[in-house]
Amino acid sequence: MIERFRGRAKSTTLCAAAVALALVAASGCGNNSNTGGAGSGTLTIQGDSGNPTLVENFNPFQGSQLHGTNLIYEPLEIPSPIDGAYTPFLATGHKFTDPTTLVYTIRQGVKWSDGKDFTPADVVFSFNLLKKYPALDGKAVWQQITSVSASGNDVTMKFSAANVPFAISIAQTPIVPEHIWSALSDPVKDPNIKPVGTGPFTLDSFAPTQYSLKKNPTYWQADKIVPAEVLFPAQASNQSTNQLDVVSGKFDWSYNFLPDVKTTYVARDPAHNQYWFPPGGTIGLYLNLTKAPYSDVNFRTGLSLALNRTTIATKAVNGYLDQASMSGLILPNLKKWLDPSLPNQGNVTQDTSGAQAAFAQAGYASQGGKLMKGGRQATMTIVMPGNFSDWVAAAKEVVNQLGSIGINASLDLPQYAQYSQTIQAGTFDAAIGGFGGSGDPYTDYSLALSSSFATPVNTPTANNFERFKDTSVDTALATLASATDSSAQQQATYALEQVMYKKVPIVLMYYGGSWGLFSTKRFTGWPSAANPYTLPTSYNNSLLTVVTHLTKA
Amino acid sequence: MRYVARKGALFLITLWGAITLNFLLPRLMPGSPVDAALARLASSGVPITNAERQAVEIQLGSPHASLLSQYGDYLSGIVHLNFGSSYSFPTETVAQTIGKAAPWTLGLVGVTTIVAFIIGTLLGVYAGWRRGKPADTTVTLGATFLAAFPPFWLGLLLLYVLAFKLSLFPIKGGYNPGETPNLSPSFLADAVYHSILPAVTLAITTLSGWVFGMRNNMINTLGEDYVTFAEANGLRTRTIALLYAARNAILPNVTAFGLSLGAVVGGSVLVEGVFSYPGLGNLLYIAVSNHDFPLMQALFLVITVTMLVAIFVVDLLYVRLDPRVRQA
Repeated sequence: MIERFRGRAKSTTLCAAAVALALVAASGCGNNSNTGGAGSGTLTIQGDSGNPTLVENFNPFQGSQLHGTNLIYEPLEIPSPIDGAYTPFLATGHKFTDPTTLVYTIRQGVKWSDGKDFTPADVVFSFNLLKKYPALDGKAVWQQITSVSASGNDVTMKFSAANVPFAISIAQTPIVPEHIWSALSDPVKDPNIKPVGTGPFTLDSFAPTQYSLKKNPTYWQADKIVPAEVLFPAQASNQSTNQLDVVSGKFDWSYNFLPDVKTTYVARDPAHNQYWFPPGGTIGLYLNLTKAPYSDVNFRTGLSLALNRTTIATKAVNGYLDQASMSGLILPNLKKWLDPSLPNQGNVTQDTSGAQAAFAQAGYASQGGKLMKGGRQATMTIVMPGNFSDWVAAAKEVVNQLGSIGINASLDLPQYAQYSQTIQAGTFDAAIGGFGGSGDPYTDYSLALSSSFATPVNTPTANNFERFKDTSVDTALATLASATDSSAQQQATYALEQVMYKKVPIVLMYYGGSWGLFSTKRFTGWPSAANPYTLPTSYNNSLLTVVTHLTKA
Repeated sequence: MRYVARKGALFLITLWGAITLNFLLPRLMPGSPVDAALARLASSGVPITNAERQAVEIQLGSPHASLLSQYGDYLSGIVHLNFGSSYSFPTETVAQTIGKAAPWTLGLVGVTTIVAFIIGTLLGVYAGWRRGKPADTTVTLGATFLAAFPPFWLGLLLLYVLAFKLSLFPIKGGYNPGETPNLSPSFLADAVYHSILPAVTLAITTLSGWVFGMRNNMINTLGEDYVTFAEANGLRTRTIALLYAARNAILPNVTAFGLSLGAVVGGSVLVEGVFSYPGLGNLLYIAVSNHDFPLMQALFLVITVTMLVAIFVVDLLYVRLDPRVRQA
C-alpha cells in the first residue's frame, strides 16, 4: 500500500511497523547511511509498488501505469497542485476566447524520441483517441468538450457549456504520437512497452523489480535536465520494510510517512537529508445530510464548535500539519483566494458553550452529561477504512471529544472497499474522508458540493457523498465555471467559502500531508517551503515539474 | 482395493466441494474489483470522480453476468486450465503470474519445511530418549521459547538487526533490483543470499512443532513392551532408540509432514510479506487486497488441490505403513 495525503495504509503488520520504527528512532544517528546509492548522474526515486513484480505498463492513459511514464510523455501544461499556477510543456500558453472556446498555442521544434516531429495534429489525435475509447478518458474530457481542431500552431477546444476551470484537466492530458498510436489495435489494453514520447527521459531497461530511464538527448529543454539516468526500484507491500529502505538512504527522493522524521530520517545524514510535508488535502468529518440530526445546520455547527482540531491534528499526523480552515481552502497554498471577511482565516477553535448553544437550537439539551432530545441521546457512528491509521487516530480523538460534550459516538472500521460502498450509497451517519487537494478551488468545491452529484440514497455517487444541495452553491459554481476575469472568480469563490463556513456541509478537521523526503547529496532544487513550486508527490506529473528544477549538488 | 476406490470417490467429492466454495467465497467479499482499483487510484492522490469510476468499469468489465453462468464459465475454465487474466497483472495470464511466483515459494518454503522436519524430528528423538534428563529439558524449553515467536515478528527483528543495522543481508526482495530471474550461477547465488533471512525465520518458528510431536511419540513408544523386551535382550541403546522406538514413533510425524508439504504452495503470507519475497503468499495477499477474482480463485484452487492431493497420497501411503488401516 501507499502512503498518501489522505491516509496511510498499513496492512499486515501495524504493530510490528511501530516496533520497527521505535527501534529506528531509538538508534538515532547511524553511521551506515547512504551506502546503497548510485553514481553521480543517477537519480534514484522510490518507485511503484511492485509485488511480487512490477507490471510493465507505460500506457499514459490507464491509471495503473508506472510512475516513470510521467517523465516519458508530456501534457500541454501542468497546473501546480498547490496554487494552480501553470507551467507550460507542449503548449506555450492557453486562453479562453470566450467561456466555451479554449485555445492552446502549441510549442514548435519539439521532436518525438524516435526522431519524428511533434505537431498540433498529434494533440488533436490524442484527444480524439479519448473520444473513441471512453475507457481511456479518466478525466471525462469528452463530457465537457464537443470538438478539438487544429489550425496553424493553435489547437481549439469547444466546450458544450462554460467550464473555465476544466482547463486544468485538459492541460494535463498526456499527448501521444499519432504515427504510433493510430496503428495500435487496442489502445485500452496495450501496455505500451516501447514508449515513444516527447519527455525528458526514455525507457532504458525494465526488470521485474526495477526500471530505469535515460535522458532524451533531443528533449526540447534538454539544458534543464541534469540527471543522466533515473532509477525506479519497486516498493514492497510492507510499509515497515519501505520505511527501513527509505531511512537506509537508498533514494534521492522518496514519498513516505515517517514518525518523528527529524530523528528517523534527517539525523541519519543531517547535511543532506531533508523533508517537506506540505498540506496536500483536507481531512474532514462528512455527515450524512439526508439523516436527522445531521440535516440540521445547528447540530452541524455544534459539532464543529465542539472539536479541538489542534489536538486532532496532533494525534493524526504527529503535528506535522495544522488544523484545517473551515473555508475549504488549503492554507497557505490557496491564500490568494481567501475571503478576508472570514474571521481568523476561517479557522474554528473549540468553544464548548457555543457548541451547547448550537445544540440547544437544534433541540438538544444536556442532561447528566448526555446530549438528549425527546428522551434519546444523540449518537453517531463514524465509518473509515480500518487500515488508514491517521484517519483512525483522528476519529478516536473525535469520539473522545464528542463524548465529553454528551454525544455517544462510535467507530466502524471496515475494509476500504466496504467503506467506499457505504459512503457512495449514502448509508452512513458520519464518515472520515478527504476533501480538496486539486490546487483549484472550483474543482474542490464542485466535487464536494455540487448538487448534480447528490444522488438519492442507495444510488452510488463518487462525489458529494454527504449529499449537499444548495441552489446558491450551484449558482456560485456556475458563475465560477464561466468567469474568465479574476475578480468575478474571486467573488464566486468567496461565496463558496461562506457556505462552507456557515452551513458546515463537512466538518473539516486537519490537513493531510504530502510526505516528501529528499537527499541533496547528488541533486538539489527540490520543492520546499521556501520554494513551493509543486507538491513532493513522486507518483504523478509533479515528477516532470521537479526533474526540470533539479541541479547538480 | 475397495479402500482405494472409496478414498478416490471421497477425494473427488471433496474436490468438487472445494472448487465450488472457491468460486463462491471471493464473491461474498464486500466491494468489487472496480472499488479496489479505485482505491488504488485514490491512494495515489487522484480525486476520484464518477467519470473515473465509469472509465475503470469499462476497462475491467465489471462482472454483470448471473452467478450461474459465471459458475459455468469457471468450471469450463478449470477443465481447460484457463483462469482468465488478472486485474492486478493485466499484461499476463493468471497461469503465467502464478508460474513466476511458484518457484520462489517452492524453493523457500519447501526447503525450509524439509530442513525443519529433519532437524526437529532428530531433536525430538534425542529429547524423548533422554526424557527427564537435562538434555530433554534444554531441548524442550528451547523449542517452547522459539515456538512463542510470531513468525512475522521474528522476521522484523532479524530484518532490523541483521539487514538494517549490520547491513549483512538485503532488506527486501528475492533478488537484486534490476536483475531478471535466470538460471545463471551468479543469479542463483544472489537468490540464495536473499532467501537466508526468510528461511531462517520460517525454520526457527516451525521447528518446535516437529520437536514436540516426535518427543511425545517417542515417550509413548518407549513405554511399549517390545522396547522393554529389546532392552532385556541387551541390544545397544542406539539400536533401540532408532530402530525400535523412533521407527514406530515417526509414523504420525510422517502424516503431518505430508500435510505440511501440501501446504507449502500456500506459502507463508506474513513472512513473505515482511521480506517482500516474490512468492505465492505475497501474491495471494495482493490478489485479496485488489479483489482480483481470477488470480485469487486460481491461487486458492492450486492450494486446495495440492492439499487434497497430499491428503489422498498420505491416505494411500498409510495402507503400506500401517496394515490395520486396510481392514477399516
